[in-house]
Amino acid sequence: MATLHDAPPATAGPPRDLPAGADRPGRGLVRKVLAYALLVVVAALVLVPFAWMLSSSLKRDNEVFTIPIEWIPREFRWSNFVEIWDRIPLLTYLGNSAFLSVTITLLQLLTGSFAAYGFSKVRFPGRDALFLAYIGTIAVPWQAYMVPQYIMMQRAELTNTYWSIILLQAFGAFGVFLMRQYYMSIPDELCEAARIDGLSEYGIYRRIMLPLSKPALASLALLTFVNTWNDYMGPFIYLTSNELWTVQLGLRSFIGQYDAEYAMMMTGAALSILPILAVFLFGQRYFIRGIATSGLKG
Amino acid sequence: MILSHASGRARERRHLIRSIAVAAALTLAATACGSGGQAGGSGDGGSTLTVAVWNMAKTPEFKALFDAFQAANPGVKIQPVDILADDYADKVTTMLAGGDSTDVITMKNVTDYSRYSSRGQLTDITDLVKSGDTSKLAGLDAYNVKNAYFALPYRQDFWLLYYNKAYFDKAGVKMPENLTWDEYAKLAQQLTKEEGGKKVYGTYHHTWRSVVQAISAAQTGGDQLGGDYGFFTDQYNLALGLQKAGATLDFGTATAQKSDYKTMFETGATAMLPMGTWYIASILAQKEKGATDVDWALAPMPQRPDGTGVTTFGSPTAFAVNKRAKNADLAKKFVQFAAGKAGADAIAKIGVVPALQSPEITSAYFGIKGMPTDELSKKAFQPDKVVLEMPVSEHTSDVDTILKEEHELIMVGDKTVADGIKSMNERVKNEVLN
Amino acid sequence: MTHVITQPAPSSAPPSAGPRSKRAWRPILIGWSFILPNFVGFALFTLIPMLAAFALAFLDWDSYSTPEWVGLKNFQRLLSDENFHVALRNTLFYAAGHIPLTLIVALGLAMALNRKIRGVQFFRTAAFFPYITSLVAVAVVWNMLFNPTAGPINQALEAIGIAHPPRWVASTDWAMPAVIVTSVWRDMGYYMVLYLAGLQTIPNEYYEAARVDGANAWQRFWSVTLPCLRPTTFFVLVMLTIQSFKVLDLIVVMTDGGPGRSTLVLAQLVYREGITEGHFGYSSAIALVLFVIVLTVTVVQFRLNERRSA
Repeated sequence: MATLHDAPPATAGPPRDLPAGADRPGRGLVRKVLAYALLVVVAALVLVPFAWMLSSSLKRDNEVFTIPIEWIPREFRWSNFVEIWDRIPLLTYLGNSAFLSVTITLLQLLTGSFAAYGFSKVRFPGRDALFLAYIGTIAVPWQAYMVPQYIMMQRAELTNTYWSIILLQAFGAFGVFLMRQYYMSIPDELCEAARIDGLSEYGIYRRIMLPLSKPALASLALLTFVNTWNDYMGPFIYLTSNELWTVQLGLRSFIGQYDAEYAMMMTGAALSILPILAVFLFGQRYFIRGIATSGLKG
Repeated sequence: MILSHASGRARERRHLIRSIAVAAALTLAATACGSGGQAGGSGDGGSTLTVAVWNMAKTPEFKALFDAFQAANPGVKIQPVDILADDYADKVTTMLAGGDSTDVITMKNVTDYSRYSSRGQLTDITDLVKSGDTSKLAGLDAYNVKNAYFALPYRQDFWLLYYNKAYFDKAGVKMPENLTWDEYAKLAQQLTKEEGGKKVYGTYHHTWRSVVQAISAAQTGGDQLGGDYGFFTDQYNLALGLQKAGATLDFGTATAQKSDYKTMFETGATAMLPMGTWYIASILAQKEKGATDVDWALAPMPQRPDGTGVTTFGSPTAFAVNKRAKNADLAKKFVQFAAGKAGADAIAKIGVVPALQSPEITSAYFGIKGMPTDELSKKAFQPDKVVLEMPVSEHTSDVDTILKEEHELIMVGDKTVADGIKSMNERVKNEVLN
Repeated sequence: MTHVITQPAPSSAPPSAGPRSKRAWRPILIGWSFILPNFVGFALFTLIPMLAAFALAFLDWDSYSTPEWVGLKNFQRLLSDENFHVALRNTLFYAAGHIPLTLIVALGLAMALNRKIRGVQFFRTAAFFPYITSLVAVAVVWNMLFNPTAGPINQALEAIGIAHPPRWVASTDWAMPAVIVTSVWRDMGYYMVLYLAGLQTIPNEYYEAARVDGANAWQRFWSVTLPCLRPTTFFVLVMLTIQSFKVLDLIVVMTDGGPGRSTLVLAQLVYREGITEGHFGYSSAIALVLFVIVLTVTVVQFRLNERRSA
């Protein structure tokens, strides 16, 4: 198989983290402490709503929306976290959400990055116009074409099946756009060199582009996964049978016409964040690849 | 492996052709004229009835009605189409637009009903109204659209005053028999206090516009679709006055914090609460669970000084038959059943106020465990006149939106009452009625 | 499944073999073969319904009646519809605040968290948390922070001597700024993730070279980081623009367009007119106008981007 002879030096070295400019050791320590203090304060502020969510999940329903806000529950009702599994078939819902999110994310990654290569590295007439059409579709609020889409799905008898959600969401423009931008920043010389070595376009995509685009693929996977996982309106419109419901629908079922079980909703919301968290932590490795800095302390 | 030019291209072409074939197949699938609708009929001529409902698992009235209907009609099976309550109307709109053929559609409120009926999406069931005795069916008028009916109500909720008896006893006051708005305001101020570092408001007005607007329309005879809203003035002055005196939670805070009337009442944060009868079943359930120990009772809504008898407002809930229903006849049968005596009995047992009213149903209702038994509570349950919360016409939803927006501006103090009413008048006349 | 062509063919110098027409077709075929798998699904399930929706803008259709061709009547109605004017103004206001602020905060976060320090994983996760926290929780807590009388924000403002701080969500003038602050806070982690991926593409050699030239941290940021991030920034900018003009869920949960119409936005109007009221023709007309606005802005961004990177 062909190998690269003269890849440009620009990409020869693996990407690294940004070294923080540490001028003098003494000042560096003070700055470090200050930086940490600032980060901790900001992180605490950022997590306040999440704390409210957790605290609500340990209350009774009629204690959630007290005025003023009660940050500490009067009594900690850990039983909410046990009860919720009996109240709604949460395990089924979690499984459904996971299935949809994983399927859609994989399809989005595969087809999106594949198409992005065509949009960024293959020159052909009409390419940019077509790409603009792609971006244009993101600009239309979904509510505007929800009904034509639904009619189409109804005719194809795909409503109340997972097919409808997968087909509607797996081929969005977002993934194509994100991957194209990333490929744009990979120098063309690299592809040229590979062509000279006799690699086909598909070979370049598979052997050069995909391995280089791990960080972008990771962020696309993460964002697609989160968006699908948290999507409410799509599953709500298309899934009627209870056994197909996703977590988001399950949580909304705690809101009735005249009353709402907010504590249960927050319990479910807290539980439903865990899978996202797992995906996020897993994907982190790709945002920063652990490479020793070249003699500079970060 | 090195391929020649030609075979490589051929392979490419084959790949392309295959892709195109897949695309074409998909296109055909998508445009193929399916029958549409959910699999509702079980093939043996419509013994399965599909009914669109919300939160089936947590709304016992539906199960009660379905069980009763299935018991009365052996061989019939009801299949609920379960939709989340929160966005019920949006999904039904989308389903109907897509040609869905669910047999029976529950009308959550009259505003939605006016939308579906004016679009011609519901079956005319005037014959059911004409054939049976519907004189005792409260809320039926709401469904009269140009002398035709497209739905029959099965439950009718109306507004009354919930109050915390313990707070009244502690303050040494008694709830008057015939409360006027002025007395109500005085009571509210009298009962406002600090208790153990916690503020207790005299009353709580939820953020819905009906709390001010529907009650004044009902008691003054004003028309909420008329484009002239001077009749709201007194009620706004009362509501703003209470807010200013600190006798009720201010509107800005209530909306921003998503304040919940149940929390306010059940945690003892308010002594009084004007609210609909649907809340009764909920309080009973909460007390049963031990989630609250509020000592509660009912009183009629406060009245204007010039009023006679007890006038309040209410909103019915109804069943309608989809124009595209697979089993239209069975669907009509169900609608009639739910609005009739058997349906009323089935839901009264679980604390829901049926549309069909009779003394025996009321006494059955007060026989439920945990209901207050004093005379005033019973009296509160039998108002002399229940006016529809919002009249039905093709303008209902547009006017509703405008009135809601202006209501917010008056209540947060962005506009004076006079200015707010002036812009209601102008906007409804210009944007809707012209 | 790769296949390898016989002669090396750098695209700048096409091979002399084969007739011209075939050579012209080749890149088109290859390009399309890459795009096709995604394009088939995209065209069928997004593009076609969308075009159908745009066609609706010239019809009068309430989902049940026979659609009726009304030409530009829906657009004429737009011109005189006060709701549309209000929503357009609010949407522009929101976009003008949300786009630059989110961009700056997200880039700042990514720069701060793109290093090897202890606990950086935790901070990155924390920054992403607002995006995945339940919207209801977000709305309640921010509304509490913005509470005009008892909220910490106003108490702090009063403490530093501002006698009449804004009433935030309870006033028509300040509700939108409050929403903007909340939305920046919510979206910053999302765009930070994109920037983190972008920062990975910058080769360390560039920094080394700049350092050798004696550039300080600020100069390195201006001369190395920003230019190298251009594709990412372009993506973030376009996405932010689109998302800002389409904003819906946060506003619905936080203020629901209120007080009055002070936070009513275009996407809300599209939803209200279409799904709630069933005026699908009119709703499509609003969506079409929204689309044209966003597309214009995007094309301008596109052109500027092309010119810069040329």
